[in-house]
Amino acid sequence: MEKTIKRVKTYIQGLDDAMQGGVPAGHVILVSGTPGSMKSSVTFNILYNEALNGKTGLYISLEQSYESLNQHLSNMGLRLDKINIQPVKNLTRIEEVIHTVKNNSTGSIIVVDIGTIRKEIKDIKIADNKSWLNVIKNVVKKVKMETNCSLFVLDSLSALYTLSRFEDPRVELFYTFEFLRDMDLTTFLISEMPLDESKYSEYQIEDFLSDGIIHLRLTPFRRNIIKEIMVVKMRATNCNNDVFSLEFKNGQFQALYGGQNPLL
Amino acid sequence: MKITFGLKKILGREKEGLLREKWKFDSKNTLLAPPTICDLKNTGEKNILFGTKEGKIYSLDKNSNIKWIFDAQEQVDQIEIMFLDVESANSIQASPNIYDLTGDGRKEIVFGTEMGVVYALNSEGKPVWKFKAEGSIRGGVIIKDVDGDGKPEVIFGSGDKNLYILNAKGKLINKFEVDESIESMPEVMDDKIIFGTNNGKIHCISFEGEEIWTFKTKDKVLAQPVIGKLFGGDERYIIIGSTDQYLYTLDEQGALIWKFKTEGAIYSKAALADINNDKKLEIIFGSCDNKVYAVDSRGEKMWSYETNFWIVAPVIVSDIDDDGNLEIIAGSYDHNLYVLDAKGNYILDYVPGLAGVMQQTGSYSDITTSEAGKMTGKKIWQYQTEGIIVGCAMIDETKDIIINTQKGYVNNIGYEKKRD
Repeated sequence: MEKTIKRVKTYIQGLDDAMQGGVPAGHVILVSGTPGSMKSSVTFNILYNEALNGKTGLYISLEQSYESLNQHLSNMGLRLDKINIQPVKNLTRIEEVIHTVKNNSTGSIIVVDIGTIRKEIKDIKIADNKSWLNVIKNVVKKVKMETNCSLFVLDSLSALYTLSRFEDPRVELFYTFEFLRDMDLTTFLISEMPLDESKYSEYQIEDFLSDGIIHLRLTPFRRNIIKEIMVVKMRATNCNNDVFSLEFKNGQFQALYGGQNPLL
Repeated sequence: MKITFGLKKILGREKEGLLREKWKFDSKNTLLAPPTICDLKNTGEKNILFGTKEGKIYSLDKNSNIKWIFDAQEQVDQIEIMFLDVESANSIQASPNIYDLTGDGRKEIVFGTEMGVVYALNSEGKPVWKFKAEGSIRGGVIIKDVDGDGKPEVIFGSGDKNLYILNAKGKLINKFEVDESIESMPEVMDDKIIFGTNNGKIHCISFEGEEIWTFKTKDKVLAQPVIGKLFGGDERYIIIGSTDQYLYTLDEQGALIWKFKTEGAIYSKAALADINNDKKLEIIFGSCDNKVYAVDSRGEKMWSYETNFWIVAPVIVSDIDDDGNLEIIAGSYDHNLYVLDAKGNYILDYVPGLAGVMQQTGSYSDITTSEAGKMTGKKIWQYQTEGIIVGCAMIDETKDIIINTQKGYVNNIGYEKKRD
């Protein structure tokens, strides 16, 4: 008898059905797209909906500040007051935040605002170029070990590359992906795609190392820009790789054939 | 085609005896480098010293009893620790070195850590001094009297791109900045210091920090150079491997004499020995193409022996069974310790009228053929450990081999004559 794979919903109506119910739990997924294609919104929405169901997620933002993210999500209509959202803008607060999350009965999202932390410690000498990668790994490990965290979003891989120089990307990314898999978290790594959509990730090794790739893009249609989403690959999943229109209506993402704009 | 050979050569030199485990010690830590064997207190009692990834130095006696453990873990604040790779922040990635720094007749133990701290411990494992560099110290620390004042200097490279020279009391005498991190252990030639860097350069500097020469390879130089009179004369040569897969031999002025290509990165110091009694030194080393190589003084391959995974640790050359013939001891990432015949093995590809006799051991100098065969490495013994072998050392008096495995086990393997 085939073993049932536990899946994590993307909370995009239509897309989960195209992936046998969602992404396999514990997988490392690349969420790749051009600027403005809603990568952050889609991934945060997963953490948000899982938190509404009592789960704990970790969102590490390397560039966008917590305030900017919060404002954007509130404008989308997400009821952040219904979950326990905990910003970390100072690394000394991490223990306190973990303590709060552990003692809170509702679902939680820990948002680590690395951008603000970077500003605060900009004058402190950092030993080597792997330091920010170490910060991310240490935060992930700490949160995973001390809470029941099951989901992790890194926003974004591209920003990480500017902070931590990878001398041998093939080797170092292999170990980074293995670290994430060992953590047994369902991980979404946001990857900024060039405007010509020539590649899903910076080194293209990430495409092979990841268990799945979800591609978001903006397509001009007459005088509109249509947001589109497709599952490029998803291991252990019989998935529909069609291109869907991505719309956000009534507080919910939808993957549609056509949508506001008719199919040609 | 004329072929001449003796019966002894056909039958070869068959070794008797076996390797047997005398004891196994579980450090419950991760080991990254070979052990150091020494007589710390000049009592004739050998100590086995090794560092761990967790930042501890162990001192064992020859029966694997713990004499002392030193914990080199540095106190760091809550923010600083987040920037470190916590698992390896305190790691000791090279073998400790020993020297009587204080002149009291007992030896001190000197080693560096990933946190950039060099410690000198006394023979009881108590700190004598420590020195903090700005970057990690991954290579070994060399202790020699470079300036000829009768007192030793402590020399090491760092991830902060500096080569440091300390006095015996741990005070900075001089530091020399290069353009990349230093992970190779330096070597000293008279008053000159030779070391490799992570951009592939080999530097030779004076004690005062003046650059004498540099030589560029194509990838990181992590191995320690070895210096020897290769051709048996007075001329000394510098032999050093690079992760660009080549073994380089340079003269004292840094000019390339020859280079030897392997198919993998070379991480460790080569061994020099006259393994074929030609009064010249041969070079024996391992590579990440899984092979142990023996190369003659002109850079020609004598033989190679292929294991199943990388050979990262330095090899040892010794006559472990006291039969007058040298053996090569090599630990592989395939978990096995190999003892090879230093002279290699001559394989006859085709001998007219001698079908079936295809292998013989020993010197091939008395075989005259027109390329009827070739030299290969010859395994004498093999011992399987429980993990990746990161290095081994030999207790000279007993010829016991101490093997460090990444899993944290230290094995003592001894040669035993065949029982009747």
